[in-house]
Amino acid sequence: MKILLMGHPNVGKSVVFNRLTGANVTESNYPGTTVDYSKGYMRLEGEDVEVIDVPGTFSLEPKDKAEEVAVKMLEKNKKSAIICVIDSVKLERGLYLALEIIEEGYPVVIALNMWDIAQDKKIRIDIDKLSSILGVPVVPTTAISGEGIKELVSTIRKAAPVEIGRILKRSGVV
Amino acid sequence: MELTVDERWDLIDKISKQTITFGRYSHTLKDAIAEITVKPLTGIPIAIAVMYGFWSFFGAFAGFFTDGFFVKIFDEHWLPWLQKVFPGEGGFLYYILVGDPTADNCFEAFGMLTSGLFVAIGVVLPAIIAFYLFLIIMEDSGYLPRLAVLIDTILHKIGLHGFAIVPIVLSLGCNVPAVTATRTLETKKQRFMMATLLAIFIPCGAQLGMMIEIIPGYVGFVMLYLLIGFFVTGFVLNKIIPGRSPEILMDVPPYRMPTVRNIGRKMWMRVKGFLFVAIPFVMLGVLLVNVLYWWGVIDWLADILEPVLSAWFGVPKETVGPLLAAFLRKDLAIAQLSAIEMTTYQLITSVVLINLYFPCVATFAMILKEGKEGGCKSAPIFLLGSLATLVATVFLFGGLLHLIWIILGVA
Repeated sequence: MKILLMGHPNVGKSVVFNRLTGANVTESNYPGTTVDYSKGYMRLEGEDVEVIDVPGTFSLEPKDKAEEVAVKMLEKNKKSAIICVIDSVKLERGLYLALEIIEEGYPVVIALNMWDIAQDKKIRIDIDKLSSILGVPVVPTTAISGEGIKELVSTIRKAAPVEIGRILKRSGVV
Repeated sequence: MELTVDERWDLIDKISKQTITFGRYSHTLKDAIAEITVKPLTGIPIAIAVMYGFWSFFGAFAGFFTDGFFVKIFDEHWLPWLQKVFPGEGGFLYYILVGDPTADNCFEAFGMLTSGLFVAIGVVLPAIIAFYLFLIIMEDSGYLPRLAVLIDTILHKIGLHGFAIVPIVLSLGCNVPAVTATRTLETKKQRFMMATLLAIFIPCGAQLGMMIEIIPGYVGFVMLYLLIGFFVTGFVLNKIIPGRSPEILMDVPPYRMPTVRNIGRKMWMRVKGFLFVAIPFVMLGVLLVNVLYWWGVIDWLADILEPVLSAWFGVPKETVGPLLAAFLRKDLAIAQLSAIEMTTYQLITSVVLINLYFPCVATFAMILKEGKEGGCKSAPIFLLGSLATLVATVFLFGGLLHLIWIILGVA
């Protein structure tokens, strides 16, 4: 099994990656810091699992070379679980990419990162409800301080492919 | 099953209505700072102040350590000691490692253990630390994308957009990661233009540190000249290269307090890279140049190229040595210039030439790699295009500077 970190630019994928693997990839506060992928390893239930930090992308239709790298990595690693990192302040936008990845049939875990900023901005997200509608684990994280990372690791095994029709049903669209 | 774009957004709408609620939020000081640094009326003066602060800090920090500390250690203790104890004066090994036995400073000696170490540790290392300290704070605080918003209009004039400021600023540290950073630009045209322009016109941190040491009073002039060259060449390239330069929407992240942990970690990565990659290159550069001098190759080349160098650029033929060294390390090349006898204006022209002339080997390799990844077919075009631009600009801007000196009557 491999784990891919995917999400929009500047949501903190590299910070999560460094936390998970103990690696030293560059973290900065501007979109487009990571333009190529990096690989690392983490311990998951006594097993070494490969983790890949992928450049940020807004959707699965690439607009620049960094996004191309991201989409290619996803296509190349059909058998991986995806940690979809979403900026909690911009949940709707982040869900678009998450849904695209779910539709492709990948098992997904959602990390609602920058949770502390969402709290400061008085944005409240019903984690349980979100998780039950999507049918995937949702974990609030503040990667910069390490909060939620442990929980994120413990839910990776629970990720399983979800049929998009069921999400439509549970959300009340159909 | 896959949804259409509209279906997906409808679904997201449904989901977010059931899961997100917004509380009352009032403006904070952070929001106020975020606004004044991005609105042109207040943002541009602030940006100028930040850049000026950057420059002052760079000069003061590097100067403090280089002039106040390393120059004394190297020139007054290390060099005389080596000249005294190193055996075989006049021999090959002495020439390579220690250099000129009569030199009284580490710029002129030009041995691996004298000039090589002094340039790397004494001059460039402090400059690099100063530069990256400031850059990392700009990166981590979130100021960089705001600078991008402010400069957007100007960069559009040459077919780029505000976000191109990221590779430009990175390039002031080192051109290599800057070339990689051009991947965030949308079209092949933009990536080619950016990679070429920064390899030619933007001096790296090591070069900047060296320039402050050699021509302290004229660095501002050189930078201005290069900046003008950057925009003029960009303007021309934008007109003649086919391809689009689309508008982009930029995300401006919130300000964040940089953490000491992350600053320390990134700084260590840079310094480590410098110690283990750059220093061997500096040493190798001194070695290569010294061997070529020893064999008489450089004097031979100097005689051949003299007509071009003295007639077109107005610099002494001895600058051939530094120009060769510039292929390996440009900081080393500038250090070498200081040992050649010439007027201040010739020195300025030589420094500009070293800036414009062929990118250092690390940058060159990176441009080659990025060109290749744009598709096998475009790699030679990418490279040839870059080289053609390079040759044209070296002759144009180098010759122009000579012309300016002639008009001013100082050539």
